[in-house]
Amino acid sequence: MNPEALSALRDLFGDRLRTSLETRICYSFDATRKTFLPDAVVYPVNAEEVRQALLLANLHRFPVVPRGAGSGLSGGSLPVRGGVVLSTERMDRIVSIDTENLYAIVEPGVVTETLKLEAKKRGLFYPPDPASLKFSTVGGNIAECAGGMSAVKYGVTRDYVLGLEAVLGTGEFLRTGVATAKGVVGYDLTRMLVGSEGTLGIVTRATLRLLPHPEAAVTLLALFPTNRDASDTVNAVAAARITPSAMEIMDRTAIDCVQAVAQVPLPGGTGSALLLEVDGTNDSAAREADRVEEACRSHGALEVRRASDAGGRDELWKLRRSISPTLLQLGAVKLNEDIVVPRSRLADMFAFLSDLSVRKKVRIVNFGHAGDGNIHVNIMISGTDPDETRRAEEAVAEVFRKTVEMGGTISGEHGVGISKAPFLEMEVGPLGVAVMKRLKECFDPNGILNPGKIFLDEDAVRG
Amino acid sequence: MKDPDLKALAGLCAKCGTCRTVCTLYPERKAEIAVARGKIALIEAATGGEDQDAEAVQEALTDCLLCGRCERACPNQVLVEEIVMKGRADLAEEVGIPAWKRVLFGKVMTSPAATGIARKAAAAGQRVLPGKIPTASGLHYRFPDGLGGAGRTVPKLPAKGFLESLGKGEAAAGEVMLFVGCVFDHVFPEVGRAAYETVKASGKSVAVFRDAACCGLPAMVSGDRRSAASSAVANVRRLREADPGAIVFPCGSCLLMFRRNVFSLIPKGAPGYDDAIFVADRAVDYASFLLSSRVLDRIPDPPPGEKVGEIGYHDPCHLSGTLGKGPEAREVLSRTVGPAFAEMAGADLCCGYGGTFNVRDYPTSSRIGESKVTVAARAGTKVISTACSGCVLQMRDMAARTDPALRVVHIAQLVHQAMFRNDGNPGIR
Repeated sequence: MNPEALSALRDLFGDRLRTSLETRICYSFDATRKTFLPDAVVYPVNAEEVRQALLLANLHRFPVVPRGAGSGLSGGSLPVRGGVVLSTERMDRIVSIDTENLYAIVEPGVVTETLKLEAKKRGLFYPPDPASLKFSTVGGNIAECAGGMSAVKYGVTRDYVLGLEAVLGTGEFLRTGVATAKGVVGYDLTRMLVGSEGTLGIVTRATLRLLPHPEAAVTLLALFPTNRDASDTVNAVAAARITPSAMEIMDRTAIDCVQAVAQVPLPGGTGSALLLEVDGTNDSAAREADRVEEACRSHGALEVRRASDAGGRDELWKLRRSISPTLLQLGAVKLNEDIVVPRSRLADMFAFLSDLSVRKKVRIVNFGHAGDGNIHVNIMISGTDPDETRRAEEAVAEVFRKTVEMGGTISGEHGVGISKAPFLEMEVGPLGVAVMKRLKECFDPNGILNPGKIFLDEDAVRG
Repeated sequence: MKDPDLKALAGLCAKCGTCRTVCTLYPERKAEIAVARGKIALIEAATGGEDQDAEAVQEALTDCLLCGRCERACPNQVLVEEIVMKGRADLAEEVGIPAWKRVLFGKVMTSPAATGIARKAAAAGQRVLPGKIPTASGLHYRFPDGLGGAGRTVPKLPAKGFLESLGKGEAAAGEVMLFVGCVFDHVFPEVGRAAYETVKASGKSVAVFRDAACCGLPAMVSGDRRSAASSAVANVRRLREADPGAIVFPCGSCLLMFRRNVFSLIPKGAPGYDDAIFVADRAVDYASFLLSSRVLDRIPDPPPGEKVGEIGYHDPCHLSGTLGKGPEAREVLSRTVGPAFAEMAGADLCCGYGGTFNVRDYPTSSRIGESKVTVAARAGTKVISTACSGCVLQMRDMAARTDPALRVVHIAQLVHQAMFRNDGNPGIR
């Protein structure tokens, strides 16, 4: 970056501009564990500072990479072409919670769980619950359109974003959407920004829909001999016209990985686990839990455990929430995919994955949101054996081809970032890519915002 | 950075971000460099050959309370404290540690005689401090603005330490060894005394460890592993020679030193390892000892209905968190003061002391500490009890700054008070 640009940023941010190597290292990574050093880090405290930063970026032509908590899994906040990491962590106010119209207005750096807890204090519910909810931010969740465990019943982040305030790549300040239950005036620019991975604009404020908080929830852990038994149960529950608020699957390797932090006694022959949750009134939750339990048992469950108190439910959930980071035990490098297939094809996909693991001689660990058909496929490798890495990459490509062939999508909730950029066209086609690029041009003509993401970029190759 | 362990230990970090949710310092700093994930990234970069400014990395690693909350929350069980302490030690070799720390840890704290002299000198120096604050826990002096740590208050230092107050042959040998630690010897001898008298009430013979003054933790966390190791090796050797059945620690941080940290300084195979194992097997926190020795059975029932819910318990990070001894202290309190004890608001929040952290960044340390005691006091706590010397020091200062009526005590003082009548004679059943 040229000294003039840095000096202008210094005038704007004072000591909230950091250029020391140490701070830059601290903003060079995300949960993909890949690292790219930025040239500087800024910590804006309001929308005006974000706008000024973007204006400077257009003047001096440096990249700006927005970052919430840096907990993403596709490289969305990695400064792959250097430039300035714009951290939203100091814009972390819940501006207001409207208990009559049921919405919250928040700044982007608010931690998702903080919003959920504040809403709950008022009897309200902000449903999106990515596994990272304790640390990931609302801004990051919006940028990646984060999903989560409850998506099977409540949908994903985009379903709760009513309106946004954002600074576009041009430095223009845009308001989108509404603060009402509906609104169809013009194109849906709100949805345009949700899931745009920080490539179109930086959200500075969001209006988020809230629901009444369910009165009760029951969590069930069911252990099965095989992934097919568990998958069949998922479909049986759906066919029984019950929509659980979570239906999570874990294969045996995933279960083994979390044993160190969440000890669960397993009956012999356990090969798969389902974590299910139903919510509603006390009565309806208990009734639905009975039916879910029955479905589990009639589809071969070896054991079903059930909890309706907060402590007991937390214990069961810990098993699921701890999986992702603990996988590192199996290999230093994790190729982490989050494919989605139609729910009825889950069992077929699991069969394909286990065959693939044998064919490519790589370890594959699977878990995820079975109720959505969303499987987190993790290919674990050492990263030091070039042949193993090649086989793993071939496996990824096969998984994606199979997914698209089954009528699925190659990313349910992590986003494209840098890790799936090479496969974008495989799913959306050449015209899809072209239209997306035209839109990018329209929001960010100088290519300031988060360059090197979503679209294939030679500078940021996979791995 | 040269320590080969560091790379392997740091490599387990998945960079998930869980540490951000529990870090005591993060809400103050609001920057990645404050949390475990950031510090680990710095160490990884350094072990990977990134050419960083060693002093800047040292500064980043020093900016940590070592409260261990990240380590306990980490889904991958990354040994953050060990990484930070080893990183500090590595950098101390590269850039050195500040001279005042070197003298303090290397010369003063390893020698009981020198520590005593230092206290006397400090006590004399205190008399020139102008601001006197009478607090519920005793007289405090306020540092004038312009002096280091403006606004800081310090407890009036006693003329005599606890060890000095013992008779010549008193508590020289016994089945139970009491490890008082420097603070409860020199700064709050009344705590050392209370612990001694109440442990003695177990009916067992009690020896007080007097050969070394310091457990070595302050030196270790400052990266001065040589001083720390020399304290540790000498301590475990002498403790083993005394051959006690149990070693009782009124201070949770000293206990952590002998239960866990010592094995970083004296790893398996190193000389002294057997002694360290001997000590670790017998090292026990004050509350657990009381429960196991049935001392509490001899306390008269507390008057019913008096001061209900006014006494709280502050969880020392290492004692309650790392060593899991929170329930034991609470049981002691319930059985000592009855319904006067109630769960305190924010009981498990770190007090912000962090040993040398409090010295290097008093404004931050005191913001965290003031918030800690204010939350408790607002919710109705009038007496904060705890079981760690750093926490007592910090919270007494915070109480003096915010609410001099708020008392901060060690649980041993409450037990002692319940056990012995005002006239000094035991009210034991």
